[in-house]
Order: sequence, then C-alpha cells, then structure tokens
Amino acid sequence: MINWTSWLDYGFMRNALLAILIITPLFALLGTMIVNKKMAYFSDALGHSALTGIAVGVVFGMQDTTISMVIFAIAFAMLLNKISSRNTASTDTIISVFSSCSVAIGLAILSAGGNFSKYSAILVGDILSITTQEIWYLVAIFVSTILFWILGFNYLNAISIHRTVAKSKQIPVKLMDNLFAVLVALIVMLSIKWVGILIINALLILPAASARNISANMREYHLFSLIFSVFSGVVGLVVSYYTNVATGPMIVIIASVIYFATYLYGRRK
Amino acid sequence: MKNKYVFVLVMLLSILVVSFGFTNIYVSHNQPAEDEDFVVVTSFYPMYIATMNVIGDTEGVTLKNLSEPQTGCLHDFQLTPADMKVLSTADVFVINGGGIESFMEEIAEQYPDLVVIEACEGIELLCEEDAHGHVHEDSHSEEDHEDIHGTEEHDHENEDAHDEDVHNHDVNAHAWMSVELYRKQVETIASGLAKAAPQMRESFLANAGDYDRKLEALQVEQEKLLTLTKGEEVILFHCAYDYVAEDLGLETAFCMDLDEERQVSAGEVAEVLEVIEHHGVKYIFAEELYGTDMCEMVQKEVDVEVIYLNPLNRGEYEADSYIEGMRNNLKLIKEVFQ
Repeated sequence: MINWTSWLDYGFMRNALLAILIITPLFALLGTMIVNKKMAYFSDALGHSALTGIAVGVVFGMQDTTISMVIFAIAFAMLLNKISSRNTASTDTIISVFSSCSVAIGLAILSAGGNFSKYSAILVGDILSITTQEIWYLVAIFVSTILFWILGFNYLNAISIHRTVAKSKQIPVKLMDNLFAVLVALIVMLSIKWVGILIINALLILPAASARNISANMREYHLFSLIFSVFSGVVGLVVSYYTNVATGPMIVIIASVIYFATYLYGRRK
Repeated sequence: MKNKYVFVLVMLLSILVVSFGFTNIYVSHNQPAEDEDFVVVTSFYPMYIATMNVIGDTEGVTLKNLSEPQTGCLHDFQLTPADMKVLSTADVFVINGGGIESFMEEIAEQYPDLVVIEACEGIELLCEEDAHGHVHEDSHSEEDHEDIHGTEEHDHENEDAHDEDVHNHDVNAHAWMSVELYRKQVETIASGLAKAAPQMRESFLANAGDYDRKLEALQVEQEKLLTLTKGEEVILFHCAYDYVAEDLGLETAFCMDLDEERQVSAGEVAEVLEVIEHHGVKYIFAEELYGTDMCEMVQKEVDVEVIYLNPLNRGEYEADSYIEGMRNNLKLIKEVFQ
C-alpha cells in the first residue's frame, strides 16, 4: 500500500496542485465557449504559436520567455481574428496557414545549431517548471476571467448563437471576440510550459465536449465541464506523480476516458 | 434528469478507483522499501560507477542514480518528479561538475542542505577551444590559405558550442574519459564521502585505494599506446573524446559533437570532408550510437579509419564497467593504429 498524501510533502507538487486548481476551472469555462463557437482549431493554432513566442524571446535574449510567449500569442490571436473576419478563404484554411507558418518559424529558430532537444520539454510539458511567481500570474488571470465571464457571458453566448442578430442588438461583436481570443491566449500561454504544446488543446476541448454530450442546458453544461476538468486535473496529477509519467498527458488520458464514457451515455438516449 | 447525475458520479468514482488501483499496483511493484541507510545519489553513469567502487561493500550505504537520461550525457537532461523524490532522501549528491549538471541551480534551491561532491573539483578541464587551438598550430605548417581556413573553423565551432548547449560550455566537462583525471575524480569522491560519513571513512578510502590501483594499471596500459599514437591527427565526433586524444598525445583536427537529436547540416558534412582532405587525417573517433550514419557517409567519400569508442556514459551497472569499457576503447585504438 502506498501513502496517498506523500506527494504533498514537496513544494513543487503543492505548486502544481495549486496551479491545477486554478487553471482547470478556467479551461472548463473557456472550453464551453470554444466548443460552442467551433473554435477548437483556433485554440490549437494558438497553442502551437507558443513555439514561435519562445523563439522570439530567445532571439531577443529574454530571460523569461513567458512574456514573449504571451505577447506573441496575443498578437497572433488578434491577427487571426482580424483576417478570418474578412472571409477571403474559409477560416480553417487561414488558421492552418498561420499555425504552420508560426510553427515553422519557431522550429527554424529553436533548432538553429542543430539542437532542438533542449526545448523538447515544452512539447510534453514539465510540471517542475511551475514557480510561485507563475501561480500569481494564474491568480490574476483567474480573477479577470471570472469577471469577464460574469459581465460578458450573455454577449458571448448571443454571438455564438447568431452573429448578425447579436450585431443588430448593439452587442460589440468584434470587441467581445477579441477579448475572448486574448483571454484564451493568456491562459494557454501561462499553462503551456507544464501541460505541453502537443496536448494543451485537449484540456480546453475535452471537458467541455464531454459536458456537451450529456447536458441539457447552459447551466449543466458549465457545471459538468467544471467537474470533469478539475477532476481529471487532480487525478491526473496524482497518478502521474506515482507512476512517473508527464502530468499533461496523464490528465488528458483521464479527460478522454470521461469523454468516451459520456459519449456512449449520451448516444444511448 | 436524476439518472444523469448518478451516471456522472458513478463514472468519476470508477475512474478514480481504477486509476488509483492501477497506480497502487504499479507502485508496490516498483518501489522497494526505504530504509535508514546513508544515502548517496549520483547524477549520472560515470559518477555512479566511480562512487560504486568507492562504497564497495561498505555496510549501511545505499547508492542511487538519477533516472537514466536517454541521451547518455546530461546535456538537456530534465529532472523529473521521481528524481526530486530520490534527491529528497539523499544525504550526499555526487556530481561530475564542470557545468554538465545544468539543473544544479534548481536542486540547490529545493534542497539547500544537501551535501554536494563535485568530482571535477580541482581538475583543470579542457576548454572547448583547446581542440581548435590545435587546428591553428597545424595549419601554420601548411599553406597560407589553409591557415585562414583553420581560423574560420575555429570561429564557427565556437559559435556552435555556444548555441548548442545550455550549460557553460567553454569547458569540456567529460573529464572521466581521461584515465588520469578519472583517478582524481575517484579520489575527490572518496575524500568527500569520507568527510560526509566519518564513521565509514576507513572503508571508503580503502576501497578507493583498491580501485585506484586497478586504474593505475589501466593508465600504464594506455601510456604504452603513446608510441603508436603520438602526434597523429584525429577528427572527433564527440567532444568527450577530446580527453582520450589528449591522453594519447593525438592532435585534434576537428571536433563536432554528434549527440542526442542533433541534426547535421549539409554544410557541416562538407566542412568535415574538407578538413580530412586538407590535413590528411586518417582517423575518426566516433560514438556508435550517434556517429554511424555520418561516418559511413564520410567513409564513402574519403579514405579514413573510423574507431567507434564508448563514451562510457551509459551501460551496465557493474563495478568494473569503466575499466572494461576503457580497456576495450584502448584495444580498438591499438588495433587500428598498429
């Protein structure tokens, strides 16, 4: 039998738990809207842009690449919004172009000198990289997201249901879209170092998608998404600690199991 | 409506039970019981072997190694939570030093009281530039334009070294590849451990003495090779071999670190070929794991002998594996140079 509380003896694990408790509810909230607005591909591209963000930071010799990542991701998100609203080609094509372009730039810069391996941790995530300072960032983003949600959720929901009607009702569609994109960018960038680029999108999408499988209304949708997100986060963290695998993938595995279970349950009805 | 909540509850509970159940089985299969021993943790393979020999059969000492990085050398190695756990039980942490353990800052922060023994302490490490210094000297004897060429190489390589590595790479930390320096490392580890656990002092020093005698014999063997090798030029595909070259009195014409996931660009291959032709280099020291492709390609283009040496940074966890590995390296070198 193992001691199920021993993991709390370590500072980095307490940090990780705090980070997960703060960030998973945010993933759940934003995820519901991302799934509704069919933006899964957008948030995926955003995650990939982290590579370029880091590369830019490295080029400018920044100590803390988080800042360059955040700045780059915000710029990237706004640009994507702007261009996709012009509707010259289908949105997914545009996103794909931007995403691959930014990944290519990031890889090109980071692999200079033939050595990409020192950045490979960012692909799968490293739980030890959570510092106390980052937790404070997370707290700040937590508060602002909750505020935004309280004030702006009805607007966002209206936009996601029917854009044109929302516009005619004097809702600031563009502003809300941009704010939402910036928020997603911030949250993705602040958690990407320990979740990993390859799977961060799963954390945004899976809880909300699972909740959607079984929810009948907005309230349930949010509630289930929250429960699933926090649950998979905490269980994933504990299991990954004892089995010595990367934390991000473990969380995603558990979230996927939940998705399949709810999918089967939802289809049965 | 009610059903749904029951379903969610049952689902989450079963996931919880299953995942924790499996974790429990996994852990109880993998973790031997902890005890009250004096715990020594080493940072990677050569340090583990050296420390293993110093500890020998001393009672009441547990020796652990950090989880094995796939890459052999510690460049780019990242600590895992399991490593942190191992270190939290440690009384002493034996590292190579010279910047190869790039995670030491993190450790110093988490465990400020941990006793650290740095095996490279007091050893004068080679500089990365040293190898290319040779290029300079050699090129002087040849044509003028080649001298310029040599300088270019030098600069280029320096840049590479800076770009490539996380740690302070002005020094080449692979000191264990020199038998002479490895003996010093063993000595440093032994005296460090003796200081940390005075009650086992005698045993540590005696074991270190025994091991040193074996290493001395190895060094004598190595020195016999000197007559064959002295003054020859080699190309190295692993910077660890700088120390081998130094010990054997070889001149390094070119050194390129083919390590980990490094991708070689076409320009670099051309550069190697050029150096081989201009300097008339006949030998390449490479590591089998990473160098094979490159060496086969080079061998197709020009006539050189490739010697695949073991960088001794991974292998069997046996007390004699360093000596055997090194002896085997010397044998390989001898066969080719004869």
